[in-house]
Amino acid sequence: MIRVTKRLGLMVLVIWLAASINFLLPRLTDRDPIEERLAQALGDSGGSAVGIEEMVEQYKAKFGTDRPLWRQYLSMLGDTARFDLGVSINYFPDRVSQHVLTALPWSIVLLGVATLISFVIGTFLGALTIWRRSSAWLARIVPLFMVLAAIPFYLVGLILVYVFALVLGWFPPARGYSVGLNLGWNPTAIADVAYHAVLPALSIVLAAIGIWALSMRGMMVTVQGEDYMNFARAKGLSDRRRFWRYAVRNAMTPQITTLVLSFGNIVAGAILVERVFVYPGIGTLLYNSVLLVDYFLIFGCVFVLILTVAVSLMLLDLLYPLLDPRIRAGGEAHG
Amino acid sequence: MAGLEVRGLKVVFETDDGIVEAVRGIDFDVQPGERLGFVGESGSGKTTTALALMGMIDAPGRVAGGTALLGGVDLLRLSPAEHAARRLVDVAYIPQGAMNSLNPVMRVGAQIADGMIDHGTGLGRAARKARVGELLRQVGLEPSVAERFPHELSGGMKQRVAIAISIALRPQLLIADEPTSALDVITQRRVMQTLREVQDAIGAGLILIGHDMGLMAQFADRIMVLRHGRLVEEGQVRQIFREPKDAYTKELIDSVPALEQRRASVIAAFGDANAAPIIELDRAAKTYRRGLFDRTGVPALQPLSFSMAGGTPLVVSIVGQSGSGKSTLGSLLLGFLAPSEGRVLFEGRDLQTLSGAERRESHRRVQAVFQDPYAAYNPFYKVDHNLAEPLRNFGLARDRASVLLKMREACELVGLDPDQTIHRFAHQLSGGQRQRLMVGRAMMLGPRLLVADEPVSMVDASLRSSILGNLRRMKDEQGISIIYITHDLATAYEVSDYVLVLYRGRVVEAGDAETVIKDPLHPYTRLLVGSIPWPDPDRHWGGDEQAEAELAERDRQGGREPCLVRSTIPGFSLAA
Repeated sequence: MIRVTKRLGLMVLVIWLAASINFLLPRLTDRDPIEERLAQALGDSGGSAVGIEEMVEQYKAKFGTDRPLWRQYLSMLGDTARFDLGVSINYFPDRVSQHVLTALPWSIVLLGVATLISFVIGTFLGALTIWRRSSAWLARIVPLFMVLAAIPFYLVGLILVYVFALVLGWFPPARGYSVGLNLGWNPTAIADVAYHAVLPALSIVLAAIGIWALSMRGMMVTVQGEDYMNFARAKGLSDRRRFWRYAVRNAMTPQITTLVLSFGNIVAGAILVERVFVYPGIGTLLYNSVLLVDYFLIFGCVFVLILTVAVSLMLLDLLYPLLDPRIRAGGEAHG
Repeated sequence: MAGLEVRGLKVVFETDDGIVEAVRGIDFDVQPGERLGFVGESGSGKTTTALALMGMIDAPGRVAGGTALLGGVDLLRLSPAEHAARRLVDVAYIPQGAMNSLNPVMRVGAQIADGMIDHGTGLGRAARKARVGELLRQVGLEPSVAERFPHELSGGMKQRVAIAISIALRPQLLIADEPTSALDVITQRRVMQTLREVQDAIGAGLILIGHDMGLMAQFADRIMVLRHGRLVEEGQVRQIFREPKDAYTKELIDSVPALEQRRASVIAAFGDANAAPIIELDRAAKTYRRGLFDRTGVPALQPLSFSMAGGTPLVVSIVGQSGSGKSTLGSLLLGFLAPSEGRVLFEGRDLQTLSGAERRESHRRVQAVFQDPYAAYNPFYKVDHNLAEPLRNFGLARDRASVLLKMREACELVGLDPDQTIHRFAHQLSGGQRQRLMVGRAMMLGPRLLVADEPVSMVDASLRSSILGNLRRMKDEQGISIIYITHDLATAYEVSDYVLVLYRGRVVEAGDAETVIKDPLHPYTRLLVGSIPWPDPDRHWGGDEQAEAELAERDRQGGREPCLVRSTIPGFSLAA
């Protein structure tokens, strides 16, 4: 129990540090988002720049960016603790949290499911390459995935869009759902969303399978050399038991570490895929908010990113003792 | 119960350089209840023979001929699936180094039970659980051990679990491949005792594979000596040890250090006789703490003070079981660990307060040789890279030519052919060659002190004496002081000038090797000496019950009695 508490404390510390850095970094650029946004708005409406100084001052007061940095920092900490991420400059007067919460499920479902699928297939294939060295179809399919893994997944995505959307027309080329769709938990909407998710998910799956297979393969090679594998064979255990309970079970531990870590990186990884497929997730949101130097929205997106990384790291630490009994002893040395 | 009858067994390996015959046609029988010893160096074919009986010869190897009848079935003619079905049921294997033979993520009980499940004993869950408990009790463990994971067990307990697994289905033949090579003598004797008992209980024949002639003399009924895949000699254990016919058998027997044949030690001043002490322990102690909140901790080494004179090179042995604190002491001497109390002084200066440059220099002057000659090399590089690195690091050789010269000298010093060694990978060398090279590597750097932690526990008996010989020569010819850390009293006896016996972090007995080992006083030392398997079948290898009782009594009283200092020698002073 002490361990869990300690671990939670550490997570809070990590989030605080990261939030602080995240707060400071955009403020180190000499660009002023309010000034830029106003200038842009004025330019769009063809108004004159007279009095813009005044308006800038007014909006700065409104957003609080006219206060000294340390006061901004303190109020940021207080707000963040209450999960109040402020108001978006760009989508004023929308709350940042509202935009983040709308975009987040899209990314989590798309990337989460795609990552899981590629993990399961890749890990299994990787394990099989070592177990069934002579299998002909494995000998062909695994190198193919390795090649795919060498191509960046957004490039794979572009190829998929070209072939399956533009040439064959089987799948929609972009967006997360059909225009005019009534989003909700009804079969039509779910089917439509799933239909739109096929290509982006496939681009990630295809690119990632090879990597999972390769790392699992490496772990299986190591595990195969262990004495307990030899002893399991000397015991005359069934092939299936040796594969699952002895080899895969032991080789999986580092794989799961990587899996949980990659869940933490979903938000970061979302940016490229979502750009290619114009997907309404957090990656697109972050990309747009950076373009517009929307402090609060950037902060909101990055904060979610930090949260996912911190939470998955914590989960990993809590999960690891369950996976590997040797960690359970609380790190004490055994001879 | 039926016996095993092997005729003309041949195993070959197909390599790029042609066919290598690993086992060249051997015949032998194992009767039910009999204990047959297979002796030979690595490469003699003893393990390959066992694997052939297990049906576990993998490509590029294959069984090229012969028969192996067990209960009317020829084991060599079985298909892989048929063979797998017979393992554990008819033939069971007790692995070498049970340390890593158990699946680290499975509870012990499940690992005993899964063999029963896969071989279809038809027992229900509850009956299986009861049987697991029964098996554990049979090998001297509590049934509750079934709920534990392998890392929660000691080496001896793991070996017992491996024995429990192997007898679960009452096989007709047990094959034990160096089952105790990683255990200390006391544990070894107890585990072998258990193995003997369970074998008698199920009435199976047993093949013990090993290179330790002492263990063979104490355990086997009959011995087969193998060399290069051929049977050199076979006979009853007494006959082999009393009247060995073959010169090779004789050589094997002689390679075991025996109390009778100890070279007299030369203790002589070397260089400046009045030099400052080379290494001093000033009430140094080590306590391991578990986590931040553990105030008391686990004491690994109680406060200990000794000093080794600079002018008189000596070999001082530190002897004890695993957990006695001997390796902790070694790490303190090397400066790898900081003492929790007291100081460790190298040439008069505290190892923990040295500046960066001084620390580097001390790392050169205090060299180490460790137990595992496999793990000490970076497998990615050839030997020359592994050797050249420290030379360059410590600035001992600047250009390629002088680096090469130093490396060649190091090889020659330990009796290796430089041309056959330097440009190979570590895995292309044998275990003995690797370990000798480790000694050479240490010497190459011109140390004043060598800390050797179990340097010969993983090499064949015949190589053992040559490596120990190397160590002694270092001392005599180059004036290097040596701390020899071991659980093996026999080699300590052979090599050392002075012996410290460590028990539960405390030196309980100290003196010259002759006195301490020939005439041990402390019950722990008596137990250690009594557990050595001497290469003499008629010498009783029993436990010293009286010593065990006395030791248990002392433990109850807290074991705080002062160290028994039996004798002193010039150049070493102990203040226990």
